[in-house]
Amino acid sequence: MRNYLVLCINGKEFHVKGEDAFLPLSTFLRYGQKACGTKVVCEEGDCGACSIILGKVDNTGENISYKAVNSCIQYMYQLDLAHVITIEGLKPNKSNVLNLVQKAMVDCHGAQCGYCTPGFVTTLCNLLDEKSKLSEIEIKDGLTGNLCRCTGYESIIKAGLSLDNSSSQFSLNKLFPDKSILEKLTSYKNDDVQLEFENKIFFSTCDLKQAVKFRAEHNDAIVIAGGTDVCVNMNKRSYEPKSLLSLARIKELSQIKQSSNILEIGANVTLTEIEKTVKELLPQWYDNLILFGSPQIRNAGTLVGNIANASPISDNIPLLSVLDAIIEVVGPSGTRQININNFYKGYKKLDLASHELITKVLLPLPDTSDTLKLYKVSKRKHMDISTFTAAILLKRKNNKIELAKLAYGGVGPVVYRLAKTEAYLLGKDFSLSLFEQAGDIAVSEITPISDVRGSLVFRNLLAKNILLKFYHECADERELVCQK
Amino acid sequence: MSEVGKNLPHDSAVGHVTGASVYIDDMPPAHNELLVDVFYSPVSHGIIESLDLTKARSISGVVAIFTYKDLDGKKRLGPIIQDEVLLVEKVCEFMGHPIAVIAAENRKALKKAKAAINCKIKELEPVLSIDAAKAKNQFLATNKRLKRGDAEKAFSQAENILEGKIISAGQDHFYFESQAAIAYPGEHNQIVVHSSTQSPSEVQHSVAHFLGLQQNQVVCITKRVGGGFGGKECQATHFAIMASLVALKTKRPARIILDKDTDMQITGKRHPFETNYKVAFTAEGLITGLKVNLYADGGAFHDLSLAVISKCLLHVDNAYYIPDLEFIGNICKTNYPPTTAFRGFGSPQGVLAIENIIEDIAHFLNKDAYEIRKLNCYGIEERNITPYGQTIENNTLARLFNELFQSSKYSERKKQIEEFNTKSQTHLKGISLMPVKFGVSFSQTTLNQASALVNIYTDGSIQVSTGATEIGQGVNTHIKQLVADEFDILANKVIVMPTSTEKNNNISATAASSATDLNGSAAVEACRKIKERLVACASEYFASQNKSSFSPENIVFKDGRIIDNRYSKNCEISFEELVQIAFTKRISLGERGFYATPKLQFNWESGPEKIGQGQPYSYFTNGCAVAEVLIDKFTGATLVSQVDILMDIGNPINPGIARGQIVGAYIQGMGWVTTEELKYDEKGMLLSHSPTTYKIPNIQDLPHAFTVAWIDNENLANIKGSKAIGEPPLLLGISVWTAIKHALSFISKEKTIDLKLPATNEEILMFISRHGLKEQESKAIKEQAVVSTGQN
Repeated sequence: MRNYLVLCINGKEFHVKGEDAFLPLSTFLRYGQKACGTKVVCEEGDCGACSIILGKVDNTGENISYKAVNSCIQYMYQLDLAHVITIEGLKPNKSNVLNLVQKAMVDCHGAQCGYCTPGFVTTLCNLLDEKSKLSEIEIKDGLTGNLCRCTGYESIIKAGLSLDNSSSQFSLNKLFPDKSILEKLTSYKNDDVQLEFENKIFFSTCDLKQAVKFRAEHNDAIVIAGGTDVCVNMNKRSYEPKSLLSLARIKELSQIKQSSNILEIGANVTLTEIEKTVKELLPQWYDNLILFGSPQIRNAGTLVGNIANASPISDNIPLLSVLDAIIEVVGPSGTRQININNFYKGYKKLDLASHELITKVLLPLPDTSDTLKLYKVSKRKHMDISTFTAAILLKRKNNKIELAKLAYGGVGPVVYRLAKTEAYLLGKDFSLSLFEQAGDIAVSEITPISDVRGSLVFRNLLAKNILLKFYHECADERELVCQK
Repeated sequence: MSEVGKNLPHDSAVGHVTGASVYIDDMPPAHNELLVDVFYSPVSHGIIESLDLTKARSISGVVAIFTYKDLDGKKRLGPIIQDEVLLVEKVCEFMGHPIAVIAAENRKALKKAKAAINCKIKELEPVLSIDAAKAKNQFLATNKRLKRGDAEKAFSQAENILEGKIISAGQDHFYFESQAAIAYPGEHNQIVVHSSTQSPSEVQHSVAHFLGLQQNQVVCITKRVGGGFGGKECQATHFAIMASLVALKTKRPARIILDKDTDMQITGKRHPFETNYKVAFTAEGLITGLKVNLYADGGAFHDLSLAVISKCLLHVDNAYYIPDLEFIGNICKTNYPPTTAFRGFGSPQGVLAIENIIEDIAHFLNKDAYEIRKLNCYGIEERNITPYGQTIENNTLARLFNELFQSSKYSERKKQIEEFNTKSQTHLKGISLMPVKFGVSFSQTTLNQASALVNIYTDGSIQVSTGATEIGQGVNTHIKQLVADEFDILANKVIVMPTSTEKNNNISATAASSATDLNGSAAVEACRKIKERLVACASEYFASQNKSSFSPENIVFKDGRIIDNRYSKNCEISFEELVQIAFTKRISLGERGFYATPKLQFNWESGPEKIGQGQPYSYFTNGCAVAEVLIDKFTGATLVSQVDILMDIGNPINPGIARGQIVGAYIQGMGWVTTEELKYDEKGMLLSHSPTTYKIPNIQDLPHAFTVAWIDNENLANIKGSKAIGEPPLLLGISVWTAIKHALSFISKEKTIDLKLPATNEEILMFISRHGLKEQESKAIKEQAVVSTGQN
């Protein structure tokens, strides 16, 4: 059992314990290491100023895979065996002052006040490390999680477009050879880790049984994966969990695989990994995931974390709901499967005992002939929490509706399946008037409130309108529908 | 080889991209340093019944807690009228009103102390809207007025009259670096305070006066500001005073850094406005008379509201000649944090008023808004006098209108939009081409002054210090280029130093887009004085070498060399050599320059009617933008599909920086009119106080097609033919809002299109729902008929 963390920061090995192990990475960097290049603005993962590149040993154990994440909501204990690259670490070789990205940002006026700039540079470096030329769409999608108040972004996009790394001039592996990092970390890889400070405890293991045991012994333990919700609560709402459990190193939970028409997604699978898998398999989900948080959030956050967080405005739950996804949980007495539609018992109340852990999600894929559409309404299209979400799944034969499944989010304490509306649609002919009437039924099934993201009236309107939107998008009069 | 006009990188760019640039909280902690936080009012309005600090003071690590009683000097703050109570004495005037300043050894102790302060407040009824303030007759200062001719007479003779109201909400600056300051105590009660401020002198004199010191005992230094946008014009001062108070009282360095949520909750925003209008116009759409009554929400104290309402009134005309008019500006007192400067400074709300009116006239007459705009546009030789009596010179408005109309293919696109709107069941499109005419200079004439210090060292390198603060806008780069240009040397020989009240005294804020105009001119003035001496020195030197006769008028600075142009080949030395010679000859290589903008005069109390009259502005920066939007009729979601901007910015000193200002300001304006929504609860608490809930534009919100260009037009009224550029393009962001109005005009059932600002998806969907989804067809068909008749 190890009582300290082992990680590398810009190639240098650190052993961290005590209070330091329970700090946000950004605090550790800025105040502990006096590495002030990483800026902190929002402390909730919503601006990207604190972006760093997080390297994790991949499933083969032989390479390090790098992803940009927000360091303000990565706590140190999440970083055991990781390699953190900060803006200070992105110096090129000695002969150059600036790397490719930095030079492009200078030449294109990509920085004005400069406060967001280190975050943009690290994120762009991560993108360029993955792909030697970036398209405008790739740049925008890649930088969705980085806000800038000065430039209006045009110059940053221009900098991104000017990059050409076809000669691999820029490479994280060249800056910090995987081998040298792995050498430092490998000997620690099988340790259980238990960290303690004051009355707090953190436990991480490679063995699911040990994790189950810990959870059973610590009834108040919360499981932390990407921490994209938990850490925001710790930063902003004085949330201080006494015991924390990480499953991140349990390999069997890190898999995403398809067998026949079931997609199995382990508890450690990040939303970014899902994004890659479903791009071809379930493009509707892909299009929706692109709007989920930001790359930094999806690089850290997991689907199971999103399910466990149980937010009624989760972007994923409506989809899982209409596909009747199965949640698999494990406890001391074995495993159990629950349909997601029976999983939520009230606002943030789960059918999950305090000794149980969610291990995976089993997602039955829709038939290719099914119509499946996902909707997300938010004040700003990208990187915004939803005001209203919907998933609609329809089977049609000769214009007759053979199956209808509807789930709405943001209209009550949990995501609702709209049983009455579904029943109303069943067996009827697909027509505009049908969907107009269905809207009234849908409204009768929901219980929205007014809050910072929208009024009750707005949400009721959306609940009706989304059915009309769905109808029009499905209707044959394609030329009347504007895609963008 | 002039450095002016070159696209050089920002002078801090390398530091920014490597993370090496230092902001306040990046400064290493000094030995013994204390951390400072504010305990503030949790209610919008209330009376403190008791304040017990005993428990908080006893917490380990807490060093001191100060209240208003500990302020040895003045207790009121304000850049124009000193009415703001810095630390509550009895009455809390807004949620976030500071009550106590806590100093502690560490953050944990600060947090504990904040929670342990026992403050009993009796809540009073707060005034939380312009309407409520009007009902209570609660105003700040007296109103201001512009008047010309007889608007009432125009109404009595009018062919058409429209009356309406436009409501615009506030906006958070959302600078990335929150309010921050570090104060270091010195000998003899001196203080050095590093502040993330746009106005170092205001910090200096406020710190001095609050702590009972003379101004010369306080130095304020500003290296750079991590975003300001007006939010640090006078509201950085409060926190600099708090840090200085702790430093002076404890004799220990003191650091205050607000977190984002606190910053957004307790600092002032852009002024919300409610504006009533009555307009008379002909059947063609020519405006013959206009009355506008503007009500701004000033918050709890004056702050800069008087100057903001002034700038607002001076921009209600925007690009249009209005013969008979009366504009009245009022500032309501409410229980919000004092609203303050924000890029545009009242002018966006003034321009919004008239642009809203134009759109309403177009809708009413079923005409193209662009035609109405052109018809009313200021003339070159006639119809060229503003409501305050300033004649518009070098007027490029008509040229901008015409060129952008052509280059953006406005009429073709408008026709396509009309067709689209007739057919589409799902979406609405809209397009709008709008102008801006932005007056440059502080409306308060006194502020149009600046000083600069130029020091040349013996190796020929140069340091410049001015009163301008580098807030990201590139003023340092501009000044560096201007100074290099004077000596015709490379810009990398010049460094612009941190702004310090020790080097430049009585500094005007970096504001009103004028930092380069004023400080650049002062720097050039200093260079010219040194140059005069260097010219004489060079000529003397050439003569002493028997290379030429003494003739200073023949000495020229060229490509880093100094030449007698009569014998160019043999008669030249390098700048570095000349500097060495001058030093040896005991010629001063340092100079101070001073600049005051000529010809300005303005008075808000002119004549028997006490109206605003004069020449407040040195010149106008002009521009036009055409925006096209696509609205989802089912969700209200808006996409800005295309924006084309054409501006008159004179000859830019640095085209890359100019472009960055145009794009950045436009997008910030677009944010104000679309997604940036300040939501308060019924008690006046801000609910959207972080980026999770307050949505500034994202990289994905950039218009899908976006062009930026400027015309060739040297501005003889300003340094190197340039024009100020910081604020004007923000106002062009309103084009997105007017384009949304245009889209909604296709379904509107009313005479005017009442759309609030910001036009969020919710606001738009509510409008659509009020007017029904199907109505657009009839109107679009009608418009189509008009178009086709025209073609036949």
